[in-house]
Amino acid sequence: MKHSHPSFLARAALSSAALGSLAVLGSAGSDGKLVIEAGRIVTQAGPDIEDGRIVIADGRIVAVGKASEVEKPWDAVVLGGKTMVAFPGFVEAHTSQGMDRSNETLDVAPFLDIRDSIDPVAYYFEDCLRYGITTVNVQQGANCIIGGRGMIVRPTGMTVEEMTVRPTFGIKLSAQPKAGKSRATQMQSLRYAFDDLRSYLEDLVEKERDERGHAKREALFQGRDLEEEKANGRAMGGTSWKVEGLELIPRGALDEKYAPLLDLVEGNQAVFFHCGDALDVAHALEVARTNGFLARTTLVIEEGCWKAADLMAEAGVPVVLDGPLVEVRRDPVTGDEEETFVPGVLQDKGVRFALSSENPNTRAPAFQAALAIGRGLDRAVALDAVTRVPAEILGMGNDVGSLEVGKLGNVALFSGDPLSVTSWVEHVVIEGRPVYDRSKDVRNKQLLEGIQQPNTAPPTQVTGEEPEHAEEDEHAKKDEAEKDEKKKEDEKEEKKDDGETPR
Amino acid sequence: MRSITARLVVLLVVVTAARTAAAQQRSEQDHWTVRAAMVYTAAGAPIEKGSVAIADGKIAAVGGGGGGDVLEVAAVTPGLIDLSIEIDTGNCSVEQSSEVAAALSVADSLDLFSYEWDRALRSGVTTALAVPADFDVVGGLGVVLKTGGPPTLEARLVRGDAVLRGAIGTQPSSGNSMPRFSAPQSFYYRRPTTRMGVEWVFRKFFWDTLQGEGADDERTADDQTVARRVLKGDLPLSIRARATQDVRTAIYLKEEFGIPRVILHDAVEAWREPELLVRSKVAVVLPPIPPDGRVEDGFVNDSYFVPLDAAKKLADLHVPFALSGQSNATVGTRIADQAGLAQRGGLSFEAALAAVTIEPARMVGVQDRVGSIEVGKDADLVLWSGKPFEPTSRIVGVLLNGRLMIDPRAETR
Repeated sequence: MKHSHPSFLARAALSSAALGSLAVLGSAGSDGKLVIEAGRIVTQAGPDIEDGRIVIADGRIVAVGKASEVEKPWDAVVLGGKTMVAFPGFVEAHTSQGMDRSNETLDVAPFLDIRDSIDPVAYYFEDCLRYGITTVNVQQGANCIIGGRGMIVRPTGMTVEEMTVRPTFGIKLSAQPKAGKSRATQMQSLRYAFDDLRSYLEDLVEKERDERGHAKREALFQGRDLEEEKANGRAMGGTSWKVEGLELIPRGALDEKYAPLLDLVEGNQAVFFHCGDALDVAHALEVARTNGFLARTTLVIEEGCWKAADLMAEAGVPVVLDGPLVEVRRDPVTGDEEETFVPGVLQDKGVRFALSSENPNTRAPAFQAALAIGRGLDRAVALDAVTRVPAEILGMGNDVGSLEVGKLGNVALFSGDPLSVTSWVEHVVIEGRPVYDRSKDVRNKQLLEGIQQPNTAPPTQVTGEEPEHAEEDEHAKKDEAEKDEKKKEDEKEEKKDDGETPR
Repeated sequence: MRSITARLVVLLVVVTAARTAAAQQRSEQDHWTVRAAMVYTAAGAPIEKGSVAIADGKIAAVGGGGGGDVLEVAAVTPGLIDLSIEIDTGNCSVEQSSEVAAALSVADSLDLFSYEWDRALRSGVTTALAVPADFDVVGGLGVVLKTGGPPTLEARLVRGDAVLRGAIGTQPSSGNSMPRFSAPQSFYYRRPTTRMGVEWVFRKFFWDTLQGEGADDERTADDQTVARRVLKGDLPLSIRARATQDVRTAIYLKEEFGIPRVILHDAVEAWREPELLVRSKVAVVLPPIPPDGRVEDGFVNDSYFVPLDAAKKLADLHVPFALSGQSNATVGTRIADQAGLAQRGGLSFEAALAAVTIEPARMVGVQDRVGSIEVGKDADLVLWSGKPFEPTSRIVGVLLNGRLMIDPRAETR
């Protein structure tokens, strides 16, 4: 067992507590209507709405506008209030969190599906709700050549099925060397994987042709129509290299090791290509171009990759910033420390980018967007980088990323300006279901106020007021005074003891 | 080989000299008028649409008037003060041949050419406390200095013997082991190997001082001179104490020997001892608070917890405290970010501002020169693009002794 016993128990207790509140909340608005009221709605589709109202029915937004103009259905559950700010649920363009183990030892493993490793009670998914993230693209970790297939989930639910938004979405490739490999062997393995696919397909077709030649002659002698008997496959699609005659092979007959790769080459699968440093960008783009999936590729970049921003812009690929917002490095000649604000470079070069919660110091998307604005990024670009752009990267531009009629009812309700350090996510709604309420979030309270209580109560003169019940009963008061005196005496003795032998 | 090294050294010196000259030329001017939509003085209420006049490296007027070039910004605060700067405080900044090296000063081992001073400036820190690394029980004297200006101690020093630095807990004993009969002897074989041992050395230091024990040894006598200054209250004692038990030990030490001024440094779990903090009247320097509250100790694999509202808890108890950035380079964890996060934990803006300016200045006795925007104080200012400590705001300019170190007029990100 991976977890030590106590922490596992604590975790189970926590998640069951969270689920308990979830169930109560969920039943209220699950198949009915939900109304969200807010002092301000940041729609991310046009100007903000003051004193707004959002109506969600059957999981989708049916109305959004000024409270005075949008009718409130009489049977709807109402959430929010005048002091709150409604914001589209944040979209995580790419993460390798939330899995039991995020990496596979096999170099090329496209036949794996991360649905088997997603851990619904991972802290990561809890944190998603705390940050207001409502849509998450989970992909295998970057320690691979070609990883398993990922999926898009909503960060709520006790089973992967409950969480699933899009099954088998995307596949992970890495240009950064897997542990134990150099960049040369990494690239060699990447190229080889697709060469291998090609020769596999060619062999299959050749063998099939041989067999068919034989079968044709047999059928001719026996007077049968062979073409009608044989289930045909599809000709190879895509925009790069082709294997002629692939229509002879039914797709179901392909080895599951190769079928997902063929999907890639035919442009049927989104690709998340990890780049650890600037030199990886050219490598990743080369592999994507050669094999025809450049149009489906998103680069997942570390902070040092900004130096290759021109290449990204030229290739027209969107990117997800996996590392910190600012690259801090030292000039080898002068010894000076230099800072580069990565989103700023990406914006200047015209690269479409999303921010992710992978950086442990600045995880919350709202915090990251705020820091980026502080650094001089346009407000609209920063907010798009945590909503609209990731939605487009996931091919869910029509479903999430803004608060518009017809889109999913995914809303984060903030206690104030979403970009202020003092604001909290108070409620999260996913597809019209309230799934998070900060007042019921035990762990958040622990992070804010401490896991254990202070060891001793602060002295009364500091906390001020006496407890109320003391005034009600004269006797009780007297007793307490006596107790206090005794306590003080004890303390004096303790002090004395301390003086002689500390601790 | 040696000649190549020598040439490299010469080259480096030339490069450094050139860079220093450039830094000085960056702005020879020290007459400025800083106009800001909000002037947060850390000495009374903020001034709306105010200005700060600077002449000859000092603040000449607050509110109006002033000559020189005008700098227009959204907000201005005093230069930030970080009592936890970690610049070149490796093995070389503490004498490990003895557990007690009270009379040695870290000033003699500071690298004023380190790139990290620039990082401090970029983080808005204009004054910092540098202390010996915590490998000794009593490591030596710390100094308060400016983070920029000519790279000489004379130019940068704000206060020489600012604190005596000590450490409680596992770090001073980490790496030590029991003497063995067969093993080759090194000085790691005779130092404390437990928390108890560390505490014993600490107590022995003050006990011997009170008894005059061992004063015939010159070095011990020097150490005891420093100890007597600490016992008199001339010199604050800064103790690194992270875990709850170390916080307690430090406070018991203060009470046992009646040490008037004690600063608990890096006191991750001080929040768990409210009664002791109030009773003993210690001051606290909080470490940078990570988003998940976990503070790992790389040396001994210890893990401590600090809640987001630790600063608020201390403020409610009226315990003097400072926030710190520990020279962090990562954006989101620097000292200004800490002042923001402390507000997320419930601390008021005014208290957060004080905790990175005037409070740390008072703790190390430099409040007459720095820590607030008042006439006659050093012209150390941080210029902001918006409300200070908000993530949407950024430090756009820094003035140090009236010199413009970071120019708000330059368009950079």
